[in-house]
Amino acid sequence: MSRLTTNLLGIQLKNPVIAASGTFGFGKEYEGYFDPSVLGGISGKGLTLHGSKGNSGIRVCETPAGMMNSIGLENPGVAHFVKHECHVMRSTGAAVICNLGGHSIEDYVKATQMINDADIDILELNISCPNVKEGGMAFGMCGKTAAEVVKKVKAVTKFPLMVKLSPNASDISEVARAVEDAGADAISLINTLLGMRIDVRSKKPIFNNVYAGVSGPAVMPIALRMVHSVCKAVKIPVVGLGGISSYTDALEFIMAGATAIQVGTATFANPFAMPQIIEGLEKYCVQNKLENISEIRGIINK
Amino acid sequence: MPVILQNSHVSPEVCLMTIKNTSGRAGQFYMLRPTKVLDPLLGRPISIHDCVDGNCSFLYRIAGKGTKLMSEMRAGDTIEAYGPYGNGFEPVDSDIRLIGGGIGIAPLYFLARTHKAMYPNRVIEAYLGFVEKPFMLQYFRAVADFVYVRVGGYITADVPFEENVINYACGPNPMMKAAKEEAEKKNSKLFLSLEAHMACGVGACLGCTCPTVSGNKRVCKDGPVFLASEVSFE
Ligand SMILES: Cc1cc2nc3c(=O)[nH]c(=O)nc-3n(C[C@H](O)[C@H](O)[C@H](O)COP(=O)(O)OP(=O)(O)OC[C@H]3O[C@@H](n4cnc5c(N)ncnc54)[C@H](O)[C@@H]3O)c2cc1C
Ligand SMILES: Cc1cc2nc3c(=O)[nH]c(=O)nc-3n(C[C@H](O)[C@H](O)[C@H](O)COP(=O)(O)O)c2cc1C
Ligand code: FES
Repeated sequence: MSRLTTNLLGIQLKNPVIAASGTFGFGKEYEGYFDPSVLGGISGKGLTLHGSKGNSGIRVCETPAGMMNSIGLENPGVAHFVKHECHVMRSTGAAVICNLGGHSIEDYVKATQMINDADIDILELNISCPNVKEGGMAFGMCGKTAAEVVKKVKAVTKFPLMVKLSPNASDISEVARAVEDAGADAISLINTLLGMRIDVRSKKPIFNNVYAGVSGPAVMPIALRMVHSVCKAVKIPVVGLGGISSYTDALEFIMAGATAIQVGTATFANPFAMPQIIEGLEKYCVQNKLENISEIRGIINK
Repeated sequence: MPVILQNSHVSPEVCLMTIKNTSGRAGQFYMLRPTKVLDPLLGRPISIHDCVDGNCSFLYRIAGKGTKLMSEMRAGDTIEAYGPYGNGFEPVDSDIRLIGGGIGIAPLYFLARTHKAMYPNRVIEAYLGFVEKPFMLQYFRAVADFVYVRVGGYITADVPFEENVINYACGPNPMMKAAKEEAEKKNSKLFLSLEAHMACGVGACLGCTCPTVSGNKRVCKDGPVFLASEVSFE
């Protein structure tokens, strides 16, 4: 067994490093830089039942040490995923995580039933997308609505269920406890933080939706604080993300209690970010004589 | 990491940078990152302006934070250069016309040079529009058979779109929209090299999509060069 092998919901990951949803396509886009089979897992682009063209206007812009996006869940739809993209993801050799968004509880349930036919390892329920008008993040803003959708999805899915939380909830630990009680098998956080920019030349907001999601290194300390408090609030595994760009960032999330971590925006700036993080974690284990990375999981809470 | 061979101003606002061991076709681009620190974070999409002996040059306008930092780099410095990305211009055995607006002339020069090398008997016309002082004209005069320059106003108003010439346009969005309308009126074939804000450059983030007659396309991966008749401007 390697020092980085990580068990997440019964799935053996080669290492705790997972590509974050929406930043790694369906797994093949960065093949020119590295073999995706080195990754612990890949979370695919967020799906919706019928697919979507996403938002109009400018969709990405830079912020100091970070970026904002307003993609609006452009995706080919669940049926297309089951037929095509899930096989592409499987062929990468990394664990396959299917990220699912929705506009209504009925949509989430119907999509979950269709995904039962797909060859995936974990279902990541996205109740935290800030860029769609109805639904999305609305489900993740308070414990009650979050629990309702999680309960319904859990009742029909045949895969382990990980629920992705929004940092925009007023009390994220309360939402975490509610989804744990509703049957979630794991929690991932954070999705993007709601932000805004104005183009001073045109005197208009940069994004047609006015607000958009902030990610990247700038949000890392906020994400870490939230991961830490959720790890203390629940017993189920927590996957941490938000601004991770180096192996030391990854270690901080693991020391705060995360079982695994995801990397998103950092890959845009440096396509080798994930393989470098994996290499850094491996070296850290050797130097610190850890047989497995899990030995330092949550160490600051002990 | 790629080394800068030279970097100098061609006008107060426009610079030309050559980067060692880079390659690509006309119409393709690189994501250039002037720093190794996390701010600015993302690469800046910059077209290949020329490529000689495995060293590409990039013609860029100082537009903001990233390009300002690029302009301050010196020969011998290293720069992160990811690419070549995008589809590039398809070579066609035909007379061609280049329509460039401002810094949009950057990729058209490489197209002219490769076209002349492949089809020496074909005619190349360049229609170049500038808001203020023109730049790089001597480059175009060296490869094109005819160079027309306009300062101020719309260069597209002066282009005689015809059926038997293939047109290639690159410039600000309003210019490309006007070019598309004019070309369609005259039934003239036109390719556009589009611009969009980008994060990944490889087709993974869907930050750069543009609407086309066959659904959304990614400017970084499916483009940046599109047939004008396929693009739907918002
Ligand atoms: C395929 C392609 C090829 C290009 N080729 C050239 C070229 O050869 N020469 C050249 O001078 N410019 C080119 N551009 C435009 C160039 O990418 C922008 O001017 C540059 O990104 C501005 O960065 P900045 O940091 O100086 O400006 P800032 O305004 O500080 O940039 C902030 C953010 O917005 C993005 N951005 C700002 N303006 C643009 C724009 N017009 N297009 C896309 N993203 C933008 C930046 O990439 C950055 O992420 C090209 C754009 C594309 C999409
Ligand atoms: C361009 C872009 C698209 C994203 N799309 C999705 C998505 O479809 N589903 C989702 O759950 N999260 C999505 N996210 C959020 C990321 O998965 C991640 O939660 C967030 O960016 C924070 O991590 P980072 O700072 O490492 O990027 C997206 C983020 C970006 C930047
Ligand atoms: S820039 Fe990411 S898909 Fe084009």
